[in-house]
Parts: sequence; structure tokens; C-alpha cells
Amino acid sequence: MVDEWVARILRVPPEPDAPDGSPGSVQVFRAGKNYYRWRILMWALQHLMLLLLGVALILGFFNFVTRRVLGPMQDLSIMIEVVALALVLAGMPFTYYLQRLDYRFRWYMVTDRSLRIRNGIWSVEELTMTFANIQDIAVTAGPLQGFLGLADIEVRSAGGGTPGPDGTTSGKHSARFEGVDNAEALRDLIQDRLRHYRDAGLGDGDHHAPVAQEPAEAAQRVLAEARALRAALG
Amino acid sequence: MDPIPRQIASITRPVDSLMTYYVLKALATTLGFPVMIGLLYFRYHTMRYVFGEEGIRMSWGILFRHEILLNYARIQDIHLRSNAIERALGLARIEIQTASGGSSEMTLEGLTDPEAMRDFLYSRMRGASHTTPASTESAKLAAVLDEIAVELRAMRVAMEGRKDG
Repeated sequence: MVDEWVARILRVPPEPDAPDGSPGSVQVFRAGKNYYRWRILMWALQHLMLLLLGVALILGFFNFVTRRVLGPMQDLSIMIEVVALALVLAGMPFTYYLQRLDYRFRWYMVTDRSLRIRNGIWSVEELTMTFANIQDIAVTAGPLQGFLGLADIEVRSAGGGTPGPDGTTSGKHSARFEGVDNAEALRDLIQDRLRHYRDAGLGDGDHHAPVAQEPAEAAQRVLAEARALRAALG
Repeated sequence: MDPIPRQIASITRPVDSLMTYYVLKALATTLGFPVMIGLLYFRYHTMRYVFGEEGIRMSWGILFRHEILLNYARIQDIHLRSNAIERALGLARIEIQTASGGSSEMTLEGLTDPEAMRDFLYSRMRGASHTTPASTESAKLAAVLDEIAVELRAMRVAMEGRKDG
């Protein structure tokens, strides 16, 4: 109820249309239920770190460092630190609530030709990619995600940034299925889609794509030949 | 390939509300406002789009001229982005990536109907509209059926040859 109201105020668009594909091939995935728990946990950890840091700064744990940098400004810095900490505390209900909205307004769509990912509340982002352009897939899960049965699937196209130590890139040439609880099924689905493309996925024309092999059409050709054979016999 | 839809081909300039957004954007930089507003003012007034048969040409700037040409078939992925302020003004950005580098290769701003533009670009992208890829099983079945058809034809041809001879 409140979610819808906030979404209307912020003009968050409703569930996106699926990209064009064969009728009936659209599958919509959502982040796993535990993804919300994971986000709350991450949020709590972040705020705990911020609070500890803020309190440590105010109590002057780092005075021996800051004195050298700030000199006579030392006293002023405590005031700034108190205000900053107060702002973080005041923002906590909002940021807590945002975790829930972020979990709800998140869609992963897969058709037989393309995928579309929508996420974000303040800044809404929607990504569309065709499987013809996809280069590789990375499945990652941290220890906490693993415990909650979650994983991130990252699908990358050519030209992205360099992968980090965890094998994920933060560049724009990638689509992230964040916090899915059926990672293996989704990975297999994407891999199955990729199997139909034999080219490099680097802008070659579509004529390299395989021609659809419809059994029904082939059976029709067999039937036509069988009829011709009977006509030749008779 | 279908011709470019009229409402797409007729786009040459960003919509007026983009300038409103630029003013707000410049205001958000507070101290940087005088510089930002100047840059964005010229960016807005010199921005031109051409949606051709093959691709998009986008240009802006007078002193520092920029012109980007991008082929539809080379599009790798399409991002539709908007923040709450842009949405309140009815705006959205479309960022288009090719395989060339890290950041967006082209950002389309100030479009009247960003979703229609996204659908148009998607329809021109590689891999968006070719015939349905069949599953491997049915492809195998089709291949076997085709072989049977070839055998049947060979039988007919052989028989007709015998009859004539």
C-alpha cells in the first residue's frame, strides 16, 4: 500500500514490458525472498560500521592523526562529525525502507532472444540485451549469499571493463541478475539460449544465425515427396 | 528491413523540458552554476539527431564540436535510465553501448517517447528479430525428416529413370 504510494510520488514506472521474442517464451524472474534479508543485513552492517567510525571520531580516537592534518581546526571538526552522524541516524528509516522497495521493484525478464533487467527507485535503470551479443556468464555468491541460498548472475557483452578479483565487472557492458535463488536453472536457461549462436557476437550480420529447423515444416516436405513418389508409381 | 517509423525519423532536436532539467542540474552544482549553465545551454541548443536507415548521428557543441555516428547493428545493449526529477519532467536517457569501450558510446537525451525509442532500437539490434531458434531436439528431428525427404526423392528419381529407360 505505502509502497505503491511512494512509487507513485517518485513516478517509478510499473513493471516493464518484456522485450520482443517468440510468443510464450517470456519468463519473468524475481530476486529470491532471502535477497531482501540479505539487503537488510548489508544495510545493518554498513550502518554499524558508520556508527562505530562516527563515535570513534567524536571520542577522538584518531586525534593523533587529525591533529596533524587539521591543526587549529580540530575543534570544529568534532562539530561536523556530530552533524554528519546525526544525518546518518536521521536517514536510517528511509534507507531501511528503500531496501524493501528495491527488492520489490526489481524484474529480470528472459525471452528466447533477449533479456531485460529493471531495478532502482530514485534512479530507475532498465537494460535490454540480445543473447546474440553475449560473450560470457559469471555466477558469483559470497559466503553470506551462499548461506541464504542466493547468487548473482552476471551476463556480459563485448567491450566491458576489466573483471575484478571476484570475477565480476562493474562496467556497463553487463547485466546483473542480483540475488536470485534459482541461479542454476537461470544459468542453464541462458546457456541454452546462447547455444543457438555460433558466431563471435561482435556485430556480424544476422545471416550467421541458424535458420529455424521446424520439425513440422520438414515433415511437410517428407509428405510432399511421398505423394510425388506415389504419383510417379501410379 | 522495415523503413524507419515516421515519428522516429522526424526527431532532430531534444524536447524543451530538457533545458528545464539542465537548469536544475546546473543549480544542483551550486558554486559551479555559472559555468555549468553555460555549457549545458550550448549543449542543448546545438544538439541534433539524425535517425537514418543504417544508424544514428548525434552532434552537439560549437567550439568543441562532437559528432557520434553509431550503427544500429553494432548496438550491444540499451540502458534506459532516469532519476525521479527527470521522470517528473517526463524525461529519460537512453544509453547505447557498442563493443568499443567502457563507458556509454552514445546517450540520447530529451526524447518525447523514450520507451518507443527503446523498442525501435531493440528491433534494429542484432539478434532481436531473426527467426525463432529451435531447440536442439527439434532441430535434430527436422534434420532427420529432411534426410528422409531426400531419400524419397532419390527413390522417385531412380524409379522414373527406370521407367523412361
